[in-house]
Amino acid sequence: MTSPATKPAPAVGFAQHPTVPIPPRPVRRRRGGPDAALWPLALTMLLLLLISCAALGPLLRGSAWWWVCAAVATAVLLGAAVLRRLGVPRRVVPFANTAVLVGTLTLLFGAGTGLFWLLPTPKTVQTFSGLVDAGVASIAQQSTPAEVTIGILFLLASGTGLIAVVMDLLAITFRWPALGAVPVLVPLLAPSFVIEDGADLPALIVAAIAFLLLLRVDVYVHRAQETRHPPVGPLAPRSYRAAQPRGPGPMWGTLAVGSIAIVSALVLGAIAPALTAGGLVSPRTGGLLFGSGVSPMISLGQDLRRPKAGPAFHYTSTGTERPYFTLLTLDEVIGLNWTARTDRTDTRNTVDDIQRPFGLAANVETTQSSTAVVIDGVNSHWLPAPARATSVEGLTGRWYWDSRTRAIASVTANTFGQKYTVSALELEPTAAQLRSSSTNFPASVQENLQLPVEPPLIIEETARQVTAGTASNYDAAVAIQNYLRSSVFTYDTEAPVEDGYDGGGVDVIGVFLQTQRGYCVHFAATMAAMARTLGIPSRVSLGYLPGVKSQDQETGAVRYDVDSHDLHAWPELYFVGIGWVRFEPTPGRGTVPNYETIVDSGTSSALPGGAAATSAPGLSPDRLADDTALEGGAAAQTASGASNLSSVVGFSALGLVLLLLPAAGRRMLRRRRLRRIRSGEAGATTAWTELQHTCRDQWIPVPDTETPRAFAARLERLGTLDAATAEALERVLLAVERSRFDRAGAPAPTLAEDLTRVVRALTRCASVGIRLRAVVLPASLFTALGALLGGERRASTIAS
Amino acid sequence: MNQPARASAFDQSPRASEPSVDTVRVTDVSAGDLPELVDLSELQAAGRAIMRNIETVIDGKHEAVQIALTVLLAEGHLLIEDVPGVGKTMLAKALARSVDCTVGRIQFTPDLLPSDVTGVSVFNQGERRFEFKPGPVFANIVIGDEINRASPKTQSALLESMEERQVTVDGITYPLALPFTVIATQNPIEMEGTYALPEAQRDRFMARISMGYPDSRSELAMLDSRDTNSPLALIAAVVSGETLRAMMHTARTIFASAAVKEYAVNISRATRDDRDLRLGASPRATLQLIRAAKAQAALNGREYVLPDDIDSLAVAVLGHRLVPTSRALGHHHQDSGPVIDDIVRRILADTPVPVGETPAVHAVPVRPVGSAGQP
Repeated sequence: MTSPATKPAPAVGFAQHPTVPIPPRPVRRRRGGPDAALWPLALTMLLLLLISCAALGPLLRGSAWWWVCAAVATAVLLGAAVLRRLGVPRRVVPFANTAVLVGTLTLLFGAGTGLFWLLPTPKTVQTFSGLVDAGVASIAQQSTPAEVTIGILFLLASGTGLIAVVMDLLAITFRWPALGAVPVLVPLLAPSFVIEDGADLPALIVAAIAFLLLLRVDVYVHRAQETRHPPVGPLAPRSYRAAQPRGPGPMWGTLAVGSIAIVSALVLGAIAPALTAGGLVSPRTGGLLFGSGVSPMISLGQDLRRPKAGPAFHYTSTGTERPYFTLLTLDEVIGLNWTARTDRTDTRNTVDDIQRPFGLAANVETTQSSTAVVIDGVNSHWLPAPARATSVEGLTGRWYWDSRTRAIASVTANTFGQKYTVSALELEPTAAQLRSSSTNFPASVQENLQLPVEPPLIIEETARQVTAGTASNYDAAVAIQNYLRSSVFTYDTEAPVEDGYDGGGVDVIGVFLQTQRGYCVHFAATMAAMARTLGIPSRVSLGYLPGVKSQDQETGAVRYDVDSHDLHAWPELYFVGIGWVRFEPTPGRGTVPNYETIVDSGTSSALPGGAAATSAPGLSPDRLADDTALEGGAAAQTASGASNLSSVVGFSALGLVLLLLPAAGRRMLRRRRLRRIRSGEAGATTAWTELQHTCRDQWIPVPDTETPRAFAARLERLGTLDAATAEALERVLLAVERSRFDRAGAPAPTLAEDLTRVVRALTRCASVGIRLRAVVLPASLFTALGALLGGERRASTIAS
Repeated sequence: MNQPARASAFDQSPRASEPSVDTVRVTDVSAGDLPELVDLSELQAAGRAIMRNIETVIDGKHEAVQIALTVLLAEGHLLIEDVPGVGKTMLAKALARSVDCTVGRIQFTPDLLPSDVTGVSVFNQGERRFEFKPGPVFANIVIGDEINRASPKTQSALLESMEERQVTVDGITYPLALPFTVIATQNPIEMEGTYALPEAQRDRFMARISMGYPDSRSELAMLDSRDTNSPLALIAAVVSGETLRAMMHTARTIFASAAVKEYAVNISRATRDDRDLRLGASPRATLQLIRAAKAQAALNGREYVLPDDIDSLAVAVLGHRLVPTSRALGHHHQDSGPVIDDIVRRILADTPVPVGETPAVHAVPVRPVGSAGQP
């Protein structure tokens, strides 16, 4: 527990007699000082970091990236050990280490722009910033497992390097090995934030074992060090802080911190998906957490299943038809999944200069509509905008439009808090135009015909069966749409999850066509896939339904509110001369674009279906129930005026609460003890326990081999207590001695006041850092936890 | 074998020169009822008076003096071990003189016989019967100078009487005085012409202290004050024998809680298991540790023993009973004292201090044990 020298000669008679100091043992110095090398520690940390990096595996393709991360981590962690071995001063090591990291990155990614390949030049900085942009962009665009582009690789490598620097700083420079393991939680937990399955449990367990190994090695190393460099001068004020900076009860304290970290990691990982309140991509700000590229279809389903909808945005529109808002378009089938094509962001395609849709024949009627959108809760890199936007005004940040899908996205900015006006082109093709559209598809949409090598046969069979006898692509599409909207299929957001066929993968479509229960994702993906089997280019768009009508609270003007339950997926089919045309195969959701009506009326008046609310007439009542509930929910949301900001605030608050939980617990414990002392329920023993715990919190060692008197004398020797406080301390000491060692200790009347006084004085005299540590990470609480877990006899004193 | 032949061996004190007379008086007293208890503050004051008295002749040896007084109060025997000329005998004499009681002094020499210590039966021609002539051991405080210079036979005569508090000569048992304290001095064993006390006999002493050299200031002060006159002549008794007996009785009533006893036992057990010790502390050592701690608590005016008392006495009480392994002694094999002291300090530093229960649990006062000599 403690080394012999920490116990001073007992001072009997306390103030009466001088104590006899034990002469300090001679200190032998070794080359490199007390920080020499610490190879075992460095190697264990490396092991922990490499295991944690491996936990990223499910997010990325291949394994080459891991080796790059490993190389950087090795360079940094072992580099630090080498630096220490060379006798570089302790304080300098973190900076030198950062330099090692920069050098390594320059060597690996600088593409020869560095001086001697190692020293970064302005050109290297440029290269790096380009890599960061590219990395962030490809993270935002890809789904998992992501292809590791050079940009992602750079982000991975520099992230790993930074984590290594921080680990070394915490674990060796500051000698908090337990905290040193905290940074590895980032790679460990990233998958749980991104992928539905949550954190990879085996990886977590292996990492936890590595973490325990790290603690063990640390204890071993420091024990070895202490025998080599015993703490000297027990009488020197506060000198023991330097001698024993790892705090009390090395094993239990660190174990407790570690377990809390791991437990909170698991808990956070488990609740992470529930934190997305505003919709599909809400608080996922992208970046290191891989944005929302991960199976957006599944995320969409989650949002739909959430009992309470969160507001997404509201808008006013001049259009004849209330628009569907597109977020992103999944136009490529990779493996079995519909994914957004991973093109580089073309920085020339700014939203200030959006081209007209190409390939639009002159005879197709178009009208220009203007939609003013105010974002309430969507937090995404994709902008909800009506299809075929031609200009977007009022956006902050740099936004680009994709030349192929026309989705509007940003790498650095997000939608949160944006207010913008979108001008969009409404197409009003007639059924005749659609029917007469040629099948001579341009090269750019040829890819939208691809399907996996062996799609389930049922897709094509069903498609052929349903479209038998149709004359044109358009008729075939309408036939599929009608088939899917028919009573054969049931709209159900739960069944796919329960039966394990969630998402819009091509394999899932096969199951869906058999079970005939699903929700928009399934209907959209099925129609798109069936269209492809018939040779019609198709894609799946994700976005929002037009929402419900409400009134602006301030102006009283009519506006439309869209919430997270309006999230929707729909197929778009390509027709030469017209472009991408929306269909609505999901029963009970949205509006069916009625191109026949346009032919009939020949005007640009409101469509019967389009003018209706989302719960369009002509649907069976049971399918309406859901939507009606949605409207109610949305209305309530509007009334409360709650913004999606609350979720962000809530998330931060949760973090803060977690952070302050130990502090609150410690404070409550102290107040309870004081209350019990005041009421006479508890006595001097409790007061003494509180005093010792206060000291533990401030990392003043409290060895159980020390008598109360020796401990009090040591506190006095700190020289920070004034005379009155010292007297108070003596009164507390006398009380605890009487209660422990006398026949019957009479309770001291001023015990609570004396204790408060001493505790305050101790806190006042501590440095800011120690005080902060005492509040945020009260060591006594963790010791108490450890004692309770271990069932030691100390538990009784802690509980009192 | 007659007394006058060794008169020089006795202290010059008039009280000590006729031990037989005093012994009778003191023995009478001891046969009486238990003395009254004294107030703790009185006890503390008396203790301080004795210490002040002693410190007029011994400079800068507060701790040694304190332990000596503690041992006296705890009815134990004290062994003072150090090189010649550092004031061992001075301390013993000063302590003896501070109390108004009988003092016997024996200068141990290789030719000293057991009967020179215990006394001898002499044939009385007039009454035609053997008459017991008590030896110097029949005194309240017996100073045994250079005890390790006597033959083992003589040593054991004294040591037996120390333990049993009685002397048997020619089949007749004579009880010794109460209080009875032996203050023995000895030179370090490597000095010439010495017989080391065996472990069993060292165990009879409650504590061993060493004086150590005085610091330069104390030594200078000593040169000034002792140049011409013997300071011992200035010392007068400050406490009566009766008061001392009352103080001893009071010290026994000091409360030692279960926690403190547990602490003492744990320390003793630790010495038995220690890898650096060949011989650990005996149960008698534990008993004496507690007893000494009680006396020290009383001297500090406290009604209860603290673990701190144990801590501060452990080296003195346990040190001389422990035998280090040759490995612990290292290559020098010279002086085991400092090595043992370090080992005891290490054990103290490693032994957890029991926290103790709620006061109600062990509120039963512990009655003082009967005879002081009982192991």
